[in-house]
Amino acid sequence: MGDPLYAHGIDLAVVLITILKVILTFLFLLLGVLLYIWWERKFISDLQNRIGPDRAGPHGILQSLADGIKVFFKEDLAPTEADRRVYRLAPYLAAVPAFSAFAIIPIGDKISIAGHQTYLQLADPPIGILFLLAMSSIAVYGVFLAGWSSGSKYPLLGSVRASAQMISYEAAMSLAVATAVLATGSLSTRAIFVHQSVWNWNLWQLGVVPFGIYMVAATAEVNRPPFDLVEAEQELVGGYMTEYAGVRFALYYLAEFMNTITVSAVAVTLFLGGPSGPHINFLPALWPVVWFFLKLFAFVSFYVWLRATLPRLRYDQLMDLGWKRLIPLALYWLLLIAALRVGDDAHWPWGVNHGALNAITVVAAAAGAGVVFFGGLGAAIRVGAKRVEEETARAGGVRA
Amino acid sequence: MIDYLPILAMFILAGIFAGVSFFASRLLAPQRPTPAKEAPYECGIVPEREPAERFPVRFYLVAMIFIIFDIEVIFVYPWAVIYRQLRAFGLWEFVLFAVAVFVSFVYLIGNGALDWGPLRRMSPVAGTPESMRSAERTAATTVRRVDVGTQEPAA
Repeated sequence: MGDPLYAHGIDLAVVLITILKVILTFLFLLLGVLLYIWWERKFISDLQNRIGPDRAGPHGILQSLADGIKVFFKEDLAPTEADRRVYRLAPYLAAVPAFSAFAIIPIGDKISIAGHQTYLQLADPPIGILFLLAMSSIAVYGVFLAGWSSGSKYPLLGSVRASAQMISYEAAMSLAVATAVLATGSLSTRAIFVHQSVWNWNLWQLGVVPFGIYMVAATAEVNRPPFDLVEAEQELVGGYMTEYAGVRFALYYLAEFMNTITVSAVAVTLFLGGPSGPHINFLPALWPVVWFFLKLFAFVSFYVWLRATLPRLRYDQLMDLGWKRLIPLALYWLLLIAALRVGDDAHWPWGVNHGALNAITVVAAAAGAGVVFFGGLGAAIRVGAKRVEEETARAGGVRA
Repeated sequence: MIDYLPILAMFILAGIFAGVSFFASRLLAPQRPTPAKEAPYECGIVPEREPAERFPVRFYLVAMIFIIFDIEVIFVYPWAVIYRQLRAFGLWEFVLFAVAVFVSFVYLIGNGALDWGPLRRMSPVAGTPESMRSAERTAATTVRRVDVGTQEPAA
């Protein structure tokens, strides 16, 4: 438990190594975002039969760097109605959690620098997963305060919508992540990664359902298409950051892409075994890093593919999916996994290790519980919908 | 607590990065504000109304229901870490808790608290008589053509 770097007290070398790790992670995130923005534009151009950026550098790879430099020379305006102090504070609340959340992601195995052993991971606190959830909650403040302090219609509407969306899907996401915690019994991301080596991935250890829920909820949490209602330009102009210009806008943009990279990295860590992979004797410290980045690359590219493929959801569809489908399903699956594990430990007669007949009993019991659970839920959904319909009819309208 | 040192350093570094960016932008960017630039965005129209101070009550409902679920999630995590030590006792305790939360959730849904369907006014199609929306109604039958042939062209 904990990084071996701090096992023998702190001296100057330990502090220097820590600072080096922080700066490397920071640079990796900045560079990663620049490359990801370029890759997103290039990949989606290919999917849409366009060329995409091709002027700055080979294949336009320097385009996002050029955009980043340009943004410093853009006038930084605040609307007259803005609450200036909050308006200036909000980008910090978006950027700082975006940078920090990546700290708990294990990138590789142990390495040793100048006689000190350390993990290829910025920090391994015992509450790693909770830290991640805390950061994603703080990011909601960045979004909400930006819209609220702008003193303008569209940002306000966008931020109310965005924060409702983000907190709705946070509940489903936390339950799916809790299912991954069940498998390991630890909140430390390093322990979760070690537990899954080599092919013992949570993806199939837990059934694919929690992974699916996590992917949908995380996509909504970072406002990526098809859940980008936050900036539905037909309705809300640019969403909560409409009034932001210049470098403040750039920080929001940076935070958004950084969050996408982070949730992909979390998916890799929780469900796809993190940096684990086939052991290769040549340069053994290098390969885990390679596996990690290959998996990460697959995920971030998947997000671009989603953006090119799926149309945006309607707001009521979004809320229905989050509250009425994902949350109950995540809760049911959490209880199912816990019951199976506890039953297995206690050698309950219907434990999975008791042969085929008992496996059938388990499935039957789970299905029975599921029928009661989802049956009650379905009935409630129908009753609720009917009630709203009656109210609408009384108000003299027709329901869509 | 020493495990949090890198996270603290990251907080500071990210804060410094944001601060330095703003400072650099202040040095490099032009400062030529005009009333039009500083007006709230309204597609170029002069805004006549203040931004809304009130928004639909459903958003407040979502926030309140979220708190219930967030508390549930907070209780899930400690249990998820030690549920194997707690064995069947912990499982049943948690099932009881989850059922209590779930029943209240079902009650909320049954009341339509999470129903986001829009109240829609009578659509024009639904309100028009049947004859106005028959299959024979096409552009050819409804658009009155001005017969230019019989008129003398303007000299």
